[in-house]
Amino acid sequence: MEQEIQKNDLDLQSTQDIVVSMQDIGFSYGNVPLFKHLNLDISRGNIYGLLGKNGAGKTTLLKILSGQLFIDEGKTTALGENPQKRTPSLLSEIFYLPEEFPLPKMKGSEYLKVRAPFYPKFDHNEFARFCEEFDIDLEKRLDQMSLGQKKKVLLSFGLASNTAILILDEPTNGLDIPSKRQFRQIVASAMTENRTFIISTHQVRDMENLIDPIIILHDGSVIFNDTVASVSEKYVLDLVTEEPDKDKAFYTEKVLGGWMVLNERTDDSDGKPLDLETLFNVIVDRSKGGTK
Amino acid sequence: MNRFNSLVKREIMTSQKDLTTLGLVIVLLLFTSETISSLAARFSGSNFPPEVYNGMFPTFLMLGGFIMTSMLFAKDMFGKDSQHDWLMLPATNLEKYLSKVSLMTIAYPLVLIVLFFVASVVIEPIQLLIFGNPMAMFNPFRLKGILTLFAQYWVWNSVFMLGATYFHKAHFIKTVLAIGVIFIGLGALALLYIRIVFAIKFGSSMPVFNRMFTVNFAEANINLQSFRVFVDIGKIIYYGLLPIFCLVTAYFRVEEVQATDAV
Repeated sequence: MEQEIQKNDLDLQSTQDIVVSMQDIGFSYGNVPLFKHLNLDISRGNIYGLLGKNGAGKTTLLKILSGQLFIDEGKTTALGENPQKRTPSLLSEIFYLPEEFPLPKMKGSEYLKVRAPFYPKFDHNEFARFCEEFDIDLEKRLDQMSLGQKKKVLLSFGLASNTAILILDEPTNGLDIPSKRQFRQIVASAMTENRTFIISTHQVRDMENLIDPIIILHDGSVIFNDTVASVSEKYVLDLVTEEPDKDKAFYTEKVLGGWMVLNERTDDSDGKPLDLETLFNVIVDRSKGGTK
Repeated sequence: MNRFNSLVKREIMTSQKDLTTLGLVIVLLLFTSETISSLAARFSGSNFPPEVYNGMFPTFLMLGGFIMTSMLFAKDMFGKDSQHDWLMLPATNLEKYLSKVSLMTIAYPLVLIVLFFVASVVIEPIQLLIFGNPMAMFNPFRLKGILTLFAQYWVWNSVFMLGATYFHKAHFIKTVLAIGVIFIGLGALALLYIRIVFAIKFGSSMPVFNRMFTVNFAEANINLQSFRVFVDIGKIIYYGLLPIFCLVTAYFRVEEVQATDAV
């Protein structure tokens, strides 16, 4: 009996920790299917990286879980609610920063007055702090700002809104080099155990050491949803100068100065840390049952 | 209620510049029209027409209102880049919808009345100084059939509201065309119905069918007194059911809008 109660407690805890759940979902654009029987669970308190080739459906997936697109079949829940209903209670817990967006013809300070009342947990002091760190002038008109500046305004707003889920679609596109570093620092500092970031990106080098776990979308389904550490525990990456035996290595790639080789980890192996780009290539390559 | 107020505030603030421009254009048009009328009256030696504002008010209310209503959802529901902002705004679909509907159905006519009055307060003294015209302020209560005008606005605004949510682009033109097609269809049906009724009563020869084109309407009106109930039913459908049907259907369109509707 006691064991049963403990098990139920654990189940409840794990259910509460899942902020987004997609079960067996199907989605098509007209007659062109994109997702078939896609399953995905996203847990609270992580910065997820959503990776995939062009057209893999990363933005579509983000729009489905935020209620901007409706699925054909299956079930999606975000914070326990059906996102398609777009209830205020759910929307006030999701902030979505799209890749491209226009902003209204008004000053940043006016935008704040118009938009902030919709987010009950909005923190004006935090917003001011983020804006200061990003060096944003709120008295400047938003429609006259560059894409990078607009992104900084919206990112500051999203972080200050204290929503449970933050969805960032290609957040570093349009940011200059110092701003990318600022972005990583601010996101890392704003992370709490109650928040979940979902960052879709192609710029994996910008996100290295920030995003983990990683979700990889390929051929209409999620082919990887795990931490980099879990892969590093099993495999080790080495740089060798001589061409490796492709039958023995798990994955090989010709790089400048030799070959990058992923081998199964043995007790004494001590290789390079696994980078996201290699991880992505390995997973996608293996999913095709392709060449080593 | 707070959320609804915030939505209305958002609607106004995001289109503040466009609304200000529109207001200035209206004032400028009124001033120009008044000046041309004054010049025409002075050079022709005729009396100055006192009802310039009253003459222009229905045009701005109807045409201006319907064009604005048609554009009401264009960016928020169908704008490729701007749609997500509206969809992700933490408010119910009904609140988002009603904030727009109330602005165009209630606020726009009221603001237009105030704007016309303020414009007349500014323009009339200038006209008096330059041309010596008698002051004729805009007074909506002097406007002939103002209640019917607002009732017509309520009906047709709801039709354009439906067009605004139904069509993905060129909302105004498509709504006008759709209304035209529906009228032609209904007209053809009515003609067919009358043709059948006349044929049953008078036979099916064409001269009898032609009778309906030579109906004395004054006489027919007296004869149709017993059918008054049908006229009342028609009014209820026209002023009550039709607008409500359009507004409810438009709301359902708002509920089902998604990113794939963006153009």
